[in-house]
Amino acid sequence: MKAHVIEHNKLRPHHHAGRRVSARWLRYAIIIAALLATLAPVYWMITISLKSEVDQFSVPPRWFLFSPTIAHYSDAFVERSFGQYLLTSMIVAVSSTLCAMVLGTLCAYALARLSLPRRLSTRLSLWILSTRMFPPIVTALPLFLMMRDMRLLNTRASLIIVYTAFNLPFVVWMMRGFFQEIPRDLEEAARVDGDSRLGALVRVVLPLVAPGLAATAIFCLIISWNELLFALILTQTDAAMTLPVGIAGRVTQYEIKWGVMSAAGVVAMTPILLFALAVQRYLVRGLSLGAVKG
Amino acid sequence: MDVRFENVTKTFGHKAVVDGLSLAIGDGEFVVLLGPSGCGKTTSLRMLAGLEDATSGDIFIGEERVNDIPTQHRDIAMVFQSYALYPHMTVMDNIAYPLRVRKTEKDEIKRRVSRVAEMLEIGPLLARRPRDLSGGERQRVALARAVVREPRVYLMDEPLSNLDARLRVQMRGELKRLQHELGTTALYVTHDQAEAMTLAHRVAVMRSGLLQQFDTPMNIYHRPANRFVAEFVGSPAMNFIEGRIDTSARLFRGEENVALQLSESQLERVRGQERVTLGIRPEHIQLAEAAREEDGWLQATVYVTEQMGNETFVFLRLGQEKLIARARADFRAEPETPLLIKFEMERADFFDAQSGEALR
Repeated sequence: MKAHVIEHNKLRPHHHAGRRVSARWLRYAIIIAALLATLAPVYWMITISLKSEVDQFSVPPRWFLFSPTIAHYSDAFVERSFGQYLLTSMIVAVSSTLCAMVLGTLCAYALARLSLPRRLSTRLSLWILSTRMFPPIVTALPLFLMMRDMRLLNTRASLIIVYTAFNLPFVVWMMRGFFQEIPRDLEEAARVDGDSRLGALVRVVLPLVAPGLAATAIFCLIISWNELLFALILTQTDAAMTLPVGIAGRVTQYEIKWGVMSAAGVVAMTPILLFALAVQRYLVRGLSLGAVKG
Repeated sequence: MDVRFENVTKTFGHKAVVDGLSLAIGDGEFVVLLGPSGCGKTTSLRMLAGLEDATSGDIFIGEERVNDIPTQHRDIAMVFQSYALYPHMTVMDNIAYPLRVRKTEKDEIKRRVSRVAEMLEIGPLLARRPRDLSGGERQRVALARAVVREPRVYLMDEPLSNLDARLRVQMRGELKRLQHELGTTALYVTHDQAEAMTLAHRVAVMRSGLLQQFDTPMNIYHRPANRFVAEFVGSPAMNFIEGRIDTSARLFRGEENVALQLSESQLERVRGQERVTLGIRPEHIQLAEAAREEDGWLQATVYVTEQMGNETFVFLRLGQEKLIARARADFRAEPETPLLIKFEMERADFFDAQSGEALR
C-alpha cells in the first residue's frame, strides 16, 4: 500500500496528490454527516424503546450504557392492541398496494401504447395527475361523509379504497414512464409470433418493467403504511385502527408514552425495511431505468 | 401462399402514406419493396402484418381477406429492423416463443429449435441472452425465430440495415439461400437497391405512397417505367440530359452543341414529344482520348475521377451537363483533361420531360 502511494506521488506533482486526499476526506465527512443526520433519530427511537422510563430522560442522556428492557414491547403488544394495529396496517397496506398496482399498471399501459385522438392520452395523464395536486385534507370531509353513508367507517375496506385511490395516479405516472421505455417492436414481435396483446404484456413487457414494478410498489407500500390523516379520520376503533393512528394515540393530555410509541415505531419500521432490502437490487435499477439502455 | 393488395390506401391525418397499392405476389415468390424512406414500403408491410390498419382496400393472404384478422391469427412471421429479440429470454427461449405460444409439445419444440439452430449455425449460442450476442448473431437469432415454424408468409423490415457492410453481403447471400430452401412467400422491405436486385424475384419500387413499377430486377434495371425508377436503381445512377427532338434531322438536341442521332425505332418512341429527357447508364458511355473516324463523338472534360479498384468512375462535364461514366480500372485522367465521349444510343432510355414516364 505504501509503495503504491509513493509510486503514485512520483507520477504526479505533490500538491495534486495532496488535494486529492483532502477531497476524499471531505467526501467521507459529508457522507458521515448525512448518515448521522438520518440515522440518529432512528437510533434514538430504538434506544428509547429499550430504556426504562428513568433512563429515557436522564441528563446527560445515556447514549450507550443503560440496562435494556423489553417492558415497552410487551406493554405495546401484549397489554395493548398494537398487535391488532400491526395486522390492520399490513392488510390495508398490502391490499391497497396490490389494487393500485393492478389497476394503475393496466391504465398506464393503455395510456403509453394506445394512440387516442387529439392527444387524449397525454391530456388524460395530466388529468389523472391533477388529483394529486390539491392537499389531501381537502377531501377528508367528503370522504368521511361518503364512507359514513356507505357504512364503511371503522372498516379496513374504507382505508383500502382511499389508499388505492390516492396511490393510483402515482402508479399510473411511474408505470407509464417505464412502459414508454420499452420498444414497441418487442410487443409487435410477440404478436406476430402469435401472442395476444395481453399475452405479450404478461410474457414480454411486464418482465422487462419488473424493476419499475418493484420500485413503484415499494413507494405505494411506504405511503400506505405511514399514512396518518385518513386513517385518523376514518377509523376510531381498535379493530380498524392502523399502527400510525395507534402510535399517535399514545400522546394524550395526561401523558406521552414514549417507550410504547418507540417500541411500536421500531416494529412499524421493520417490515418496510426488510421489504426494501429484499428488492434493493430492483429498486436501484427501477429508479434509474431510463438511464440504462438494456 | 399468395398475397394480394387490392387498392390499399393508408392515410395518417390527411396524408396518404400508401395510395391505392395493388400488388399480387405469387406463392413462393420473394418480393422486395424498394424505395426511399417515407415512400410507404414499411407501412405496406405493417398493414400485411396487421400492425397497422388499412384505411381502405383489401389485403388477402391466399383466398382469405385478412383486414379484420388480428396480427396473431394471420400466421405470418416477421423479422424486425431492430431484431426485437426478447432481452429477458435466452436465445433458446426466443426461438421457441412462437411455438410455446401455440402450445406446441415440448419434444417437438426442442427438435425444431435445434434443427433451425443448426441450419443458421447458432447452436452454441442457445443458452446465451441477446445482450451477449454480436449484431450478426442477433440477426441470425431473429431469422431463426421467424423460420422455426412454417408461416404462410415471411415479412422482413430492413433486416440487414444494422449490420456492417461485409456482414450484410454475407447475410444477403444466406437469406437468398434460405428462401430458396424454404420456398415460402416473402415480402422484404429495403431502401438498398443492391439487396433488392440480388434477393428479389420481383421488385416493387415505391415513391410517396405510389407504386412506380413491379417487375423483375433485370426489367427494373433495363426497362425502368419512369425517370424515378431509372434514377433510384443503379449505382452510380443513370445520367439524364434534357433536350428536344428534331424530327426532320432525326436528332436529339441537347443544349449547346449536343446532337445525337436517333434510330428509326427511337424516333417512333419519341414521336409527338417536344421536350424529352434522355437517360443513359454510366456503363453505356464510351470514352476516348483522340478523335475517331466515326460520328457521334462529343467533346467533354474530366471533372474528377474516382478509382474503385476494379473500375473507375469518371465524372464529366458536357457543356452544362454533369455526367458519370464507368471506365476500366486502369483509366487515369487529371481534372480538366479534354475527353471524347460517345453514348451507346441503342441502350438509351427516353422519358417524358414533364411526367417522367418512360417513352416506349
